[in-house]
Amino acid sequence: MDVSQYLEIFLDETKEHLQNLNTQIMTLEQEPENADTINEIFRAAHSLKGMAGTMGYKRMQTLTHDMENVFSEVRNGTIKVRGNMIDILFQCLDALEEYLASIQETADEGTNDNEPLIKALNAILKGSDGDAAKEEKAEKKEEAPAKELEGPETSEGAGWQEIKLGNTEQNVIREAVSQGKSVFGLTVSVQEACILKAARSFLVFKALEELGEIIVSVPSTQDIEDEKFDLDFSVIVITDRDLDTVTKAALSVSEIEKVVGGKVTVEPGEEKEEPAVVTASADPDQKETAVSEPSSQAVSVAAAPAKPAAKPAGDKKPVSKPVVNRTVRVDIEKLDALMNLVSELIIAKNSLVSASNVGTGNSNLFNEQIEYLENVTTNLHESVMKVRMVPIESVVQKFPRMIRDLSKKLNKKMELYMSGEETELDRTVVDEIGDPLMHLLRNSADHGLESAQLRKERGKPEAGSIYLDAYQDGNNVVIEVKDDGNGIDVEAVKNKAIERGVITPEQAENMSDKEIIDLLFNAGFSTAKKVSDVSGRGVGLDVVKSKIESLSGEVEVKSKLGEGSTWTIRLPLTLAIIQALMVDVGGEKYAISLGSIQTIEDITKDDIKLVQANEVIHLRGTVIPLIRLSDVLDIESKKSSDDDLLVVIVKKGDKLAGLVVDELMGQQEIVIKSMGKYINKCKFISGATILGDGEVALILDANALI
Amino acid sequence: MEEIRSFETIQFIVIKIGDEQYGIDIKYIDNIVRMQHITRVPKVAPYLKGVINLRGEVIPVMSIRLKMDLPEDEITKATRIIILKLEQYGMIGVIVDEVKEVVTLDNSQIERVAYDNKEEKTNYINGIGKYEGGLISLLDLNTVTLEKENV
Repeated sequence: MDVSQYLEIFLDETKEHLQNLNTQIMTLEQEPENADTINEIFRAAHSLKGMAGTMGYKRMQTLTHDMENVFSEVRNGTIKVRGNMIDILFQCLDALEEYLASIQETADEGTNDNEPLIKALNAILKGSDGDAAKEEKAEKKEEAPAKELEGPETSEGAGWQEIKLGNTEQNVIREAVSQGKSVFGLTVSVQEACILKAARSFLVFKALEELGEIIVSVPSTQDIEDEKFDLDFSVIVITDRDLDTVTKAALSVSEIEKVVGGKVTVEPGEEKEEPAVVTASADPDQKETAVSEPSSQAVSVAAAPAKPAAKPAGDKKPVSKPVVNRTVRVDIEKLDALMNLVSELIIAKNSLVSASNVGTGNSNLFNEQIEYLENVTTNLHESVMKVRMVPIESVVQKFPRMIRDLSKKLNKKMELYMSGEETELDRTVVDEIGDPLMHLLRNSADHGLESAQLRKERGKPEAGSIYLDAYQDGNNVVIEVKDDGNGIDVEAVKNKAIERGVITPEQAENMSDKEIIDLLFNAGFSTAKKVSDVSGRGVGLDVVKSKIESLSGEVEVKSKLGEGSTWTIRLPLTLAIIQALMVDVGGEKYAISLGSIQTIEDITKDDIKLVQANEVIHLRGTVIPLIRLSDVLDIESKKSSDDDLLVVIVKKGDKLAGLVVDELMGQQEIVIKSMGKYINKCKFISGATILGDGEVALILDANALI
Repeated sequence: MEEIRSFETIQFIVIKIGDEQYGIDIKYIDNIVRMQHITRVPKVAPYLKGVINLRGEVIPVMSIRLKMDLPEDEITKATRIIILKLEQYGMIGVIVDEVKEVVTLDNSQIERVAYDNKEEKTNYINGIGKYEGGLISLLDLNTVTLEKENV
């Protein structure tokens, strides 16, 4: 079977499962007795194994299989969760990630068998005692190969027992049972030499339909008719005959190799969210001796893991069952195409608006239509943007694990507290933000937090705290990494900078603390006294800064010696379309992002005060520096110096500035266009946009102006 | 450097800047548009006149005249913006006084200009084409579009 087309899905889903496992094992370490967690782990490991097997990655499959065995024992209560077991499990996850990375690059899992890990897993298994466990294990071993033998030749594996029943089918089955009818599952295998598989299966269907009603078939009837199945197919039949008759009927069709059947029962409970677990009994190994009585000892492979899994979930109230997101994976390029279309639509709408302004426009209808169009484009824009938004959760959820590892490695006790994981950002930004955040967290863990002893001397709790908080602030998303560690030693940074020749001692004299701290973002700067593999190579912070800036964001740090530091990353919520205020400066049109505008003020000439020869205004208790855009943009203002000033107050974090403009032209939704590589020298122009009349207006980056 | 394939022909668009005729290799030309409103971009080199809207894309426009230290462009009815497509920078527009014709030159009609590295003044042409008794200076687009740091 050619599976390469599924590779991408496989990679995606495996990543998800691994992440899930990571999180759950972390939880397990905290609460070793949590049955829900154990079940969740078991399920994830099981799916992982299945997927790896289907894709033909044997090594991955073997490893996950052994992991699954361990989880299974844990779930059965024969093994207790211990510290070293968690460590080994984490190592297994790392090994799986390595496989995955190798698959991603070369479509091959590599040759590392990870023998030591498998041995370690088996050692854990052997550590468990009790005959029952051993027996069960032996049984499992026996059954597993049998299942695998079946696996390669049929894509359906265990056949009818794996049929998932929807709500309707369950209801139908319940109803049938209540009417005294029997429900059987059958897996029919066609002989390998059979030429007209579709015709044979059609005959089987026909034979079965004479006896009862077929409610489900896997593959679907359509696929069976189109011969889209390997050698077997499974059906669930409602009938008033017994199993023997039914299997015989199916077998009576020639070229049918075997028919395996069993009784299907549905639990009477009404679990709507879960696909029903088909508990069944069957005699798996024969043709003609199909038994109609369920025999209790022949519990099938599929049913065995499913049953205990269902039980705890049923007994306990579903405490923290993760809500499964219903998602469709969409190629980001398709989204981009959609996005471009929306952009064009908005431009078209804008030109309609300006056309209506130019014409004398007596028709109300025209305006109405424009308003309608505006509604549509705005909604369309919003929904496309929303499609592109993903919660940062996918990035940050790997951090608890990382901090745990760091904690062991650095021998410091630390806790990571996260909040705001649900904050959403553009997909492209989320993909890029992981590394910078990781750097900052490592930095906090390594440099920030003091050793336990020092912490005790300073009267701090022994375990250091690192906080990762994300929240939305206007048109920005803010991510803060905070620690209660040592803080940044400004003197040390200063001395280091002088020593490294980054600044001269004279320069250092005149620099504020903040300026000195900002030196940390210079390339090749590290104050760690010893270089560890956690951090301290001096490549971290400048990479963080450049990465964030490439996403049109910014990073800031505040620190108090002895009390800790806070790193603040500020990212724009969206990158392509923004609401903007259009202003006129000296006859030229400029756009200012609405998100950065605080207020708009009308001030007189007398309101302007001078502080250190810079113009400021005193507004409601705050002193705000004035920036005359006409000066910054090298253009003559149209206004005389005696006129009142129109000031747009913009904010960047908690800093404010007043931009003096000639005229306000109104609010508009604008599409940000890049100006190309050739003309990017201008720092405070963040891009250009095309107005309704086709003219190009430049977008002022208020952040760069402050 | 003598070209071996002597029958290779190249098409050039002949433009006029001042009194001189220049040729631009047609393979770099994306489009020729009429003069239109150019939005000035502050704080850039003076020869960068600004940006224009070309079918929904924002394209920077430069003045060859200013780049070559010639007097400022006089906008007439014949003035055109030639949109070049370059590997390094993407699309760039250049303002020319007039677009005259398309000529096909083979190698025998092109005289390569020896490039003198020591020469202080940047050389904007890499050859001279002889065509129907006239001379066409063939623009070296790489040096023309190269950013000048001395501004």
